[in-house]
Amino acid sequence: MSGAGVIPPDLAAQVSAFTARLRDRHGFLIGPGETADALRALGAVDVLDRREVRGALRAVLSASPEQTRLFDLEFNAFFRAEGAAQPKLPLLPETKAPGTEQQTEAGPPPPPRPGQPPAPNPTPAPAPDDAPDPDEDAPDSQAPGQPLPGEDQAPPDDTAVPSLRARLSPNAAPGQAVQAGGDDLPELLRAASALVRALELGRARRLRPQPQRGPKLDARRTLRAAARTAGDATLLRWLGRPRRAPRFLLVIDGSRSMGADATLLLRFAQALHLRSRRVEVYAFSTGLTRLTPLLRRAPSGVPLSLPELGDAWGGGTRIGENLLRLAREERAGVTRDTLILVLSDGLDTGDPALVGRALRDLQRRAGGVVWLSPLAAAPNYRPVQRAIVAALPFLWALLPVGGAADLHALPRRLRAARRL
Amino acid sequence: MSGAQIPEPAALKAAFLVRGYVADDALATALRLVAALGKPLLLEGPAGVGKTEAAKTLSDVLGTRLIRLQCYEGLDAQSALYEWNYARQLLHLRAAELGGAGGVTDEDLYSERFLMARPLLQAIREEHAPVLLIDEIDRADDAFEAFLLELLAEWQITVPELGTIEARTRPHVILTSNRSRELSDALRRRCLYHWTEYPSRAQELAIVHARLPGVNETLAQQVTNAVHALRALPLGKPPGVAETLDWAAALVSLHADHLDAPGIRATLGAVLKLREDQLLAAPTLQGLAAQAAAGHPPGA
Repeated sequence: MSGAGVIPPDLAAQVSAFTARLRDRHGFLIGPGETADALRALGAVDVLDRREVRGALRAVLSASPEQTRLFDLEFNAFFRAEGAAQPKLPLLPETKAPGTEQQTEAGPPPPPRPGQPPAPNPTPAPAPDDAPDPDEDAPDSQAPGQPLPGEDQAPPDDTAVPSLRARLSPNAAPGQAVQAGGDDLPELLRAASALVRALELGRARRLRPQPQRGPKLDARRTLRAAARTAGDATLLRWLGRPRRAPRFLLVIDGSRSMGADATLLLRFAQALHLRSRRVEVYAFSTGLTRLTPLLRRAPSGVPLSLPELGDAWGGGTRIGENLLRLAREERAGVTRDTLILVLSDGLDTGDPALVGRALRDLQRRAGGVVWLSPLAAAPNYRPVQRAIVAALPFLWALLPVGGAADLHALPRRLRAARRL
Repeated sequence: MSGAQIPEPAALKAAFLVRGYVADDALATALRLVAALGKPLLLEGPAGVGKTEAAKTLSDVLGTRLIRLQCYEGLDAQSALYEWNYARQLLHLRAAELGGAGGVTDEDLYSERFLMARPLLQAIREEHAPVLLIDEIDRADDAFEAFLLELLAEWQITVPELGTIEARTRPHVILTSNRSRELSDALRRRCLYHWTEYPSRAQELAIVHARLPGVNETLAQQVTNAVHALRALPLGKPPGVAETLDWAAALVSLHADHLDAPGIRATLGAVLKLREDQLLAAPTLQGLAAQAAAGHPPGA
């Protein structure tokens, strides 16, 4: 018998508490409207079926794959079955490559391929400062969560706890927030504006009214104008294709060797993000992390502060592997109007052949790839680093970035490089 | 329109399965809520996992029309809503002049006969709630996404010359995205959400059998296992479910009853679409072919 349409009052109270938990602990954008929708959704499914309840609440309350994974963990913790083990909650969700979920379901991970480093230990012992507080992450003992009727074995997607563990590199800096404070934001904003304005990678597909003769007649406006001349189309209106707003894909090397240059570039990425919505930002060290959501949420007017970035900041340098991963994750996002800016000194501990392979892939799909190196700002610099040598055939330009002045000069240097 | 139009999740799963679509519980529940809550469903996931196919199957299950709006960069509201047939309007004007019919009024010129309805207008004028598929919304730009917010909230559009047109029925709206661009929080908040992942081995095997009923069991299992092994590699374009089906169909067309090296060589283009991926996957595929050959000697 279906229980659809019947919501026990205590279940409604639990759902309200659950939505508050998602909002308060994980920052889900859940307001009263979403809570009401969640209750309405329960009215449309069988509340005696745990899977349907979970599916209904997940569809209403989550809005991204990352939130979906967090939702599943919180749901299982909140509405756990009697006697069920308490799932552990992650510190940071891990970004999985497509298809790698099979490794977790199939048991132990495969051995590393030749030329690749061993996979990071899936259960690293975190530093004392990083140790999750079990009282903080575990559900409150007084929480209203109760076992739901119809408890069943969770499907494989609910047992994703291992894949959600934070990956902590043994080379990473101790778990500290990344501080990129500085009073140069207005200056960097000017540099970012100049870069957005200066770059022209192509013409938009959308036709826009043109003040002068364009490639296509604007029939709508011409007909409107003809009304003034008794139906004779004497005043022709035209459509044209304006400059296409460029996209930017910034990849910042956050390894130890980059030092203060990395934080300068992080602030520049923030400035660029404030000037254009078409900006994606990643950071890498031994691992790769997408920073765009963090930059979007960063409050303006205060020094930039990001949470601990794990193996994407302050560790060693694995340029090739991370660029390969970037090429795979951003495959659909890189188009001919994308300028890829790789911000790195090129001091790599990985296989340089991977750098060439990744950049060849990216360069084929992007409008251009530009490498910005702090080392190139030094006099008598010669591009002899292995990663740089492997990358050079696929670069639009290799440019110095020793300070804010170089960022200001970026549009001019890019135009000059393009004319060559 | 009522929520009863979409069956309960278990019945919906069964109806999808009859049509060759293996839906999981979460997707069936999310689709059920599209009607129950009257909200659009945002389906995200890698390319080739069956997002668009889910909308097509839903329209088939409901017996309603599928109206598809394929998004692309540069898509504007006019192309998605309606356009006036200017050429016919001009001809009408000239004909009226030559026929001495006197002045042509705005009401004549901007009437239904010159209105060309585009997908969104078609969707809200349908008598029976259609399935409106807004495909690859991430390819459209921000301005179009903002325009959609208004339409999805009000379900009415205003044609300046005709007035406001309200939806007769609220369409079942499904948006798909490959995450090539980050969608706004505003759009996400207005939608139900479902992340579609690659299917498990068992699910994918069920899909192969549902779509290709004549396929040999051994071959289906080997193809499914091989595709899962390929997805674990760092490929530029990992194979989706569509590639699995294409590969199995290609092997069947060559009368193969198991995977072997010649068969893989002949059909590799059905599953890996980049030369670099084919080179990268070569050792893995050789190993799989050797395993398959060990289990199925020639002539067996």
